[in-house]
Amino acid sequence: MTVTGTADAAGDGDRQTQLLRGVLDMCLLALLAKEPAHGYELVHRFDAAGFQPVGYGTIYPLLTRMRRLGLVADEMQASPSGPARKVYTLTDAGHARLRAWRQQWTHFVGTVDSTLTDSVPDSPRS
Amino acid sequence: MDTIDDAIATAEAEWRAYGVHRSDAATLAADLRSELESAAADGITPAQLLGGDVRGLARRLADEAGVRRTPRAYGRVLRTALVGALLGAALGYLVLLAVYPAMVRLVDLPRDVEVPILLAVLLYYGGAAAVVVVVGAVAAVRVHLRDLPGARSTGNAMSLLLPLAGVVVTPITIGFARSTGYSDSGPVVLAEVALVVAAVTGAVVLARRWALRDRDPRAITGTAEPGSPRAVA
Repeated sequence: MTVTGTADAAGDGDRQTQLLRGVLDMCLLALLAKEPAHGYELVHRFDAAGFQPVGYGTIYPLLTRMRRLGLVADEMQASPSGPARKVYTLTDAGHARLRAWRQQWTHFVGTVDSTLTDSVPDSPRS
Repeated sequence: MDTIDDAIATAEAEWRAYGVHRSDAATLAADLRSELESAAADGITPAQLLGGDVRGLARRLADEAGVRRTPRAYGRVLRTALVGALLGAALGYLVLLAVYPAMVRLVDLPRDVEVPILLAVLLYYGGAAAVVVVVGAVAAVRVHLRDLPGARSTGNAMSLLLPLAGVVVTPITIGFARSTGYSDSGPVVLAEVALVVAAVTGAVVLARRWALRDRDPRAITGTAEPGSPRAVA
């Protein structure tokens, strides 16, 4: 019983990770679209949004890719305490890409929802 | 990984091993340092921010930044060069056996001309041996590793550095042999072979380093639209 419960929990965690992996770039754009942020602040935003913990070692390479693709830009901003910080913001191309991905996601979620709803068996007959 | 410098040094070592060009690695390092310094100002250490796998992070960063890599592949180049040199030497030996009588007839010096025996041996055998060894090693690298970035320029550099290595190691080896009374015992011969192999190894590694020096000096660039903030440092 305990073994099964632990295995189920591990399986749930893996599934969550796989699901997150597929939408991480889109969510990163969405979080940046709300407000520019520096790198590790994004980690906190993912936490605050309710995702499972996402490490900086995942976020930073992803930001690097987004910058290479021209979806995210950075600029140095003076900080009241400490050195100037690199703050990331969405470019126009990033906003456009986010709109496209959002539409795609909405359509996809609708399809998945209807599939799951259709799969619910009828209530048992007496 | 206690300090920012430690983390940067670890990442830089990984980028070097990963074949990332120096200028790209410098850009990545500057970006990473900026992030670490920002975090440090908020009391977050490099270990807390990056976790334990800085090398893995460095590789992912290089991949995601889209930098082109030129694998150093020292081991592969060296193995290929040594095999090529051995094959060249073996082939040269067979050719020498075949043309030896003709060469004796061709180089028929007058009796009153005295040539030091060592010089004669060096020119006659050493020169031919050097040529076939160098040609074998260079051809092997250029042909067998033709798909490896920088193989052609590595071969070109080898064609210059291998003869130089030969010029350096030959008197050393002869001096060593002379000091042992030209012994043909196993350890002595092994030491002589080791000297030559070490010289060839050094020349090949130097040639590879030379060939990769400042190769593909492409800066990492972003594609931000005009008027938008800077895409990439």
